Amino acid sequence: MSEATAKRHMGLKTSRAISNTAIHILLIVISIIWLIPFVCIVLQSFRVENTGPVGYVVPKVWGTDNYVRLFQTDFPRWYTNTFICALATAVLQTIIVLCMSYTLSRFRFKMRQPLMRFMLILGMFPGMLSMIILYRVLKDLGLTQANAVPGLILVYVASSGMGYYVSKGFFDTIPMSLDEAARVDGATRAKILYKIILPLSKPIVIYTILTAFMGPWGDYVFARYIAFGTSAGKNVAVGLYDWLNKDQISNCYTMFCAGGVLVALPVTILFLFLQKYYVEGVTGGAVKG
Amino acid sequence: MASVKLTDVKKVYDNKVTAVHDFNLDIKDKEFVVFVGPSGCGKSTTLRMIAGLEDISGGTLEIDGEVVNDLQPKDRDIAMVFQNYALYPHMTVYDNIAFSLRLKKVPEDEVYERVTNAANILGITEYLTRKPRALSGGQRQRVAIGRAMVRNAKVFLMDEPLSNLDAKLRNQMRAEIILLRQKLDTTFIYVTHDQTEAMTLGDRIVIMRDGFIEQVGTPQEVFDTPVNLFVAGFIGSPQMNFLRANLVKGGSAYYVELLDVKLPLNDEQNAVLAQKGIGSREIILGVRPEHTTVLFDRSEGAIECSIDVNEMMGSELHLHLRSRNDDRIIVRLPTVDLTKEQRASLSYGNKMYITFPAKVMHLFDPETEKSLIDG
Repeated sequence: MSEATAKRHMGLKTSRAISNTAIHILLIVISIIWLIPFVCIVLQSFRVENTGPVGYVVPKVWGTDNYVRLFQTDFPRWYTNTFICALATAVLQTIIVLCMSYTLSRFRFKMRQPLMRFMLILGMFPGMLSMIILYRVLKDLGLTQANAVPGLILVYVASSGMGYYVSKGFFDTIPMSLDEAARVDGATRAKILYKIILPLSKPIVIYTILTAFMGPWGDYVFARYIAFGTSAGKNVAVGLYDWLNKDQISNCYTMFCAGGVLVALPVTILFLFLQKYYVEGVTGGAVKG
Repeated sequence: MASVKLTDVKKVYDNKVTAVHDFNLDIKDKEFVVFVGPSGCGKSTTLRMIAGLEDISGGTLEIDGEVVNDLQPKDRDIAMVFQNYALYPHMTVYDNIAFSLRLKKVPEDEVYERVTNAANILGITEYLTRKPRALSGGQRQRVAIGRAMVRNAKVFLMDEPLSNLDAKLRNQMRAEIILLRQKLDTTFIYVTHDQTEAMTLGDRIVIMRDGFIEQVGTPQEVFDTPVNLFVAGFIGSPQMNFLRANLVKGGSAYYVELLDVKLPLNDEQNAVLAQKGIGSREIILGVRPEHTTVLFDRSEGAIECSIDVNEMMGSELHLHLRSRNDDRIIVRLPTVDLTKEQRASLSYGNKMYITFPAKVMHLFDPETEKSLIDG
């Protein structure tokens, strides 16, 4: 290698090292900024010297009193409500989304394109626009306040078919000839979905379940105006937020933080174990859209 | 019994494009019929209509005398081998082959017997526990055939099963399909764009173009008596040569005038032309390369050409010649008896002379493209 070439290679190596370092520094800074609120919440949840908001982060006295006190409130009831909502939504929404995606991916019928266009346009309107009419309908059905859990499940599941894009994109990557071979072999459409398509679609199924679970788990807006008035129907977001009003914050702030940690735990664990499938699901569906 | 009858079957898509026009064909029980034609001719569409994977826009399809237009694929008692194998990637070879039997709730011991039997015939027993991604192209194709075989279906459909294989493997699998046909003894409908496969495999060949049937016949019939220019040019490799010429009626006999050479026709050809009342006219003369004799020296009745390209094929040369009126001609010249001087003279621009007997001449109408004798 000539001296000039060697110099050029060294120059390239150095500039690559510099730019890599700069990018890593930037990413570390962004990560720290992003993680600070979570670290603060976790630290505050173990603070026992006082229960209200303070101007420092690291506790002076560490303990688990806040967690113990949590279970002496209605928090377990809210947690159960949230879990039931999220689980039911995850199951029902997954079934609806996967069936919808399979139908739009595999079947050809006259209204297919108009339907997809209609859903695309409808999806551009914010969900908040339907709040008032949804509240009226649910109130008339008696599915608010104490009966908010079934009401919320209905709200979360009702429009779930519109979230077919990523799953349909994933199914589009599976060759149609597999379906045809299965049809010739004697399988019905339902059997093809169950025995052929879904086993090949583990990433997208897990992605769909995760996103369907996370929506209701962290929802505040819809839960706020449907589950109000009585503690029995609240979810964790509404229940914990109520502790931040001026009457309760001094007593409940650290409990709020402890509640936040417990709310974050299940989803964090799920993601830790399933993140590989989640990424595969998102990118697999994104290839053909 | 497994006869298949298509009567005026057509396929029209939503955008009003007609892929298959009025397809009429009677396939006898245990016959091996090949649909062949260029891409987009409608052969796969027709096969898929027989399989039930495409709706039939018009006409009737009968399998064993029963109209099956509205029956689902699973109810037609057909088995199909796809071009891209369509093996279920998450299942082992055993499970792939057993899939259809398990859907029918066949007892597991019978499933085992039928799967292992098929695997033995196809030589894939050692691969039964593997998944498709661990198999080569040829092995996958055998598994696809095995999956179709175990169903003991009335009709065996194959949609270009060899087109994804390399040339050597294709030749090998072609022979295996011939052996398979003898073992299974059922009706086969095979689709290919390769005329060699069509000629070697089929009892009868259906040649298609743009959704129409151009000709139906045995391999020998379509080779010897093509009914139009398209069939003549499609069947045979290298392709038939087409030369602009004139048909001249001299009294009771006809001859073909090509450049300044007069080529008399034989009695049979004269009789057919006379019976059809055909007079003197321009024609396209078709002659196959293998029926053409190549001479190094001028001879009475030989047509003068010059060499464009010389392709060495091993045991023979394919010479691309050009006539004095710019028509291109391909001829086959065995190399075994060529002298050194003759080999040396096979270079660009050198003169060669070609002759052919009357019986190998095919005459076509330049406008209708139909054969004047075999149409």
